[in-house]
Amino acid sequence: MSHQIRPATEADLEFIMALEKLSFGRDSWSKPTMRAELLAPHTFYLVAYLDEKIVGYAGLSKVKSASSADIQTIAVDESLRRRGIGHELMEKLIAQAIQLGASELYLEVREDKTAPQKLYESLGFVVIDRREKYYQPDGVAALVMRLALSVQGLQEPVVLGIETSCDETGIGIVRGTTLLANVISSSMDQHARFGGVVPEIAARAHLEALEATLQKALHDAGLSINEIDAVAVTNGPGLAGALMVGVGAAKALAVAIDKPIYAVNHLVAHVAVDVLERGRLETPTVALLVSGGHTSLLLVRDLLNDVELLGETIDDAAGEAFDKIARVLGLSYPGGPEIDRVSKEGDPKAVRFPRGLTLPKDQDKHRYNFSFSGLKTAVARHVELAESKGEKVFVPDIAASFREAVVDVLVTKAINACLDNNVPRLILGGGVVANARLREVAAARCQEAGIELRIPAFSLCTDNGAMIASLAAQKIMAGEAPSELGFGVYSTLAI
Amino acid sequence: MTQVLLAIDTSSGTAVAVLVDGKVVSELYEDNSMQHAEHIGMLLAEALAKAGKKSSDVTAVAVGVGPAPFTGLRVGIAAAKLFAEGVQVPIFGVSSLSAIAFLEPLDEPTLILTDARRSEVYFALFHEKTKHGEPKVILGPGVKKQADLEAELLASGTNYKTVTGSIKASNIGLLALAQLAGGTLESQVLANYLRAPDAIPAKGKKVSG
Repeated sequence: MSHQIRPATEADLEFIMALEKLSFGRDSWSKPTMRAELLAPHTFYLVAYLDEKIVGYAGLSKVKSASSADIQTIAVDESLRRRGIGHELMEKLIAQAIQLGASELYLEVREDKTAPQKLYESLGFVVIDRREKYYQPDGVAALVMRLALSVQGLQEPVVLGIETSCDETGIGIVRGTTLLANVISSSMDQHARFGGVVPEIAARAHLEALEATLQKALHDAGLSINEIDAVAVTNGPGLAGALMVGVGAAKALAVAIDKPIYAVNHLVAHVAVDVLERGRLETPTVALLVSGGHTSLLLVRDLLNDVELLGETIDDAAGEAFDKIARVLGLSYPGGPEIDRVSKEGDPKAVRFPRGLTLPKDQDKHRYNFSFSGLKTAVARHVELAESKGEKVFVPDIAASFREAVVDVLVTKAINACLDNNVPRLILGGGVVANARLREVAAARCQEAGIELRIPAFSLCTDNGAMIASLAAQKIMAGEAPSELGFGVYSTLAI
Repeated sequence: MTQVLLAIDTSSGTAVAVLVDGKVVSELYEDNSMQHAEHIGMLLAEALAKAGKKSSDVTAVAVGVGPAPFTGLRVGIAAAKLFAEGVQVPIFGVSSLSAIAFLEPLDEPTLILTDARRSEVYFALFHEKTKHGEPKVILGPGVKKQADLEAELLASGTNYKTVTGSIKASNIGLLALAQLAGGTLESQVLANYLRAPDAIPAKGKKVSG
C-alpha cells in the first residue's frame, strides 16, 4: 500500500510528537509549541499516513501581509525514507505557498544533514546564507535556503499597466514576463496644428480614451477584469494633468477589483520592456531614452534597485527639436518621421550644425547631458539667412544635416556612458527610436566599440502601458510591497 | 436587490459618498483643490468600508461632470469610469451645478456660482423643480466674470438669490436618483469643460534679427 497525505488536525498531535522526538532528538519542539503551530491561522500542516499510521508531517508558515513563506519543519519516519514521502510533502507545501501568494519560500536546515539538503536542492532551493551555531545545544550551523517561486514560472502575476504621461493613452497587460496586450490610443493628430503636444488637449483625450482602451486590452489578452492580479500606473515624470487622469483611474480600478496598485517610474519602465522580449534584463546596461518629452541616459545596474540617471537634456527633448525643425522646414507634425523621410534625399554633411555640450569644456559638468536649443536656433538661422539672401534652401540637405547632428550627439554620449562605466550593452527606448538614422548609427558604432545593442520592437519603444505593467510585474515577482493608495503625481519624478 | 450607488465629485475638493437604497450611508470630503489624484483612492476605499459595502456590492456609479476646473474634474471622472469598468456596472454623469441647486428650495430663481479661477465663475440659474426633484435650468451653464453676469441679469430684470458652494458627493448621488426617476439621467459621461484648451496654433517665430 502506498502512503497518503492530508491536512493535519489537533488529533494528530500525539503521533506527530512521537515522530518529532524520534527525528529531532534534542532539537525537538515541545508539545505546546507543536500544538500552537498546528492551530495558528498563518500555518498549514500536512501529515502523511500509511495504514492509518502517521509516518510523516510538514508545515508551512505564511503571514498574510508577507510576500515570503517559510517551511517550518518536515519529518519522515526513518524506516520509510527514500520513498518520495518527503518530496511529496514538500511539493504540496510549495503549491500551497504559491496559492497563498508567496513569491519566495525559505527554510533552514542543519549543515551536518546532507540528505534533506539534497531533497531541497532537487526541488530548486539554493543556499543563500549560513547561520553559525543555530542549532543548540549541539552548536551546529544552519544553512538558509531559498526557493524563488516566480523564477520557476510557477507564480506569474497578471498585471495591467496604465500610461498617460504624455499624448499616448496606453494600457498593457502582462503575465510575468509575457506580453498579453499592448493597446495605445494616441492624441497625436489633435496636436498637429499646434506643432507640439498641448497638455490640456492630451489630458482631455486620455479621459475620453480610457474605457475603450481598457476594453480593447482585456479583449486582446483574452481576460476578464477579475483575472487581473495587480494594477500599475505611471506617476511621473510627465505632464501633471495627463498623469492625474491615469492615476485617478488606476486607483479606482484597483479599489474596484480589490487588487494592489503599483506606482511606476516612466523612465525606468522604458527599460523594463526588455524582459518582455528576452525574459530578463541583462545588467549592467546603459539606456538611452529619446522621445518628445525626454532625452535621458540611465545606467541600470539592477532594474528594481539600482538605476542611476547619468544625464538628461537641459533644454528641449530630442523629439521636440525634430518637431520644431520640421516646422522651420515647412514639414508636418510629428517632425521625426517627416525629417527621416526627406533626409533620404539629402546630404548629412551638407551643413555642419553644432553638436550641443560636446566640447572639451562641457565634459566636466555635462558629459552625459544634452542640449538641442542651440542646434535648433542654428538651423533656423541658416534657413532664414539663406531666405534673406533670396537663396533657395534644399530642404533634404538641411533635414539630413540636422538629423545627423542630433543622432551624432545621442550616440556619442550613449557610447561614452558605456565605455566610461565599463558597461558592455546599450538599450534604446522612446518614440525617437523610430528614427532610421538613429538605429543605423547606433548599430554601427556599438559594433565598433564591442557593445551589444538592444532595440525593442517599436510598439514597446514608444510610450505604452505594457512597459508599466512589465516593471510592476518585476517588482511583484521580487516581493516588493504595493504602493500606498495615497501616492501622488510628480511631473519631475526622480529615478 | 439592494441598490448601492457610489457617487464621486471632484469639481472642488475630492468627494465620495455611498447611497444604499436612496439613503446616504457614508460621505467623505477632502477640501483640497490640488490633490484629487492623491485622495481619490483612499476616499473610495474608506467610503465603501464606512458603508459596510464591498466594491462588488456597488450597482451603479454617478459622477459630477462639472463645469469645474479641468485638472481636478478629470480625476473624478477618470476614477468613476474605471471603477464602473472594474465592477461592470453602469455609470452616469450629473451636472455639478445642478447638484448644488438640488439642495435649494428653488421657489425663487437661484443663481448657483462656483469658482472658475481666472477671476471668473461657473454659473447656472435655476427655478423650480420637477415632481421628481430635478432642478430646472433657466440660464446657463456658463463661465463669466461675476460682475458681467450680474450686470446682464440686472439688465434683464431678473430677481434672484445667489448661492455659492462646494459640492458634496451625496448631492450628486441624490440628484442622480431623482434624474433616474425622472428619466433624465445621462449615461454618456462627458466632462463639461465650457472652455477650450488654451492653445494657439503655432506660427513659428524668427530667430535672426
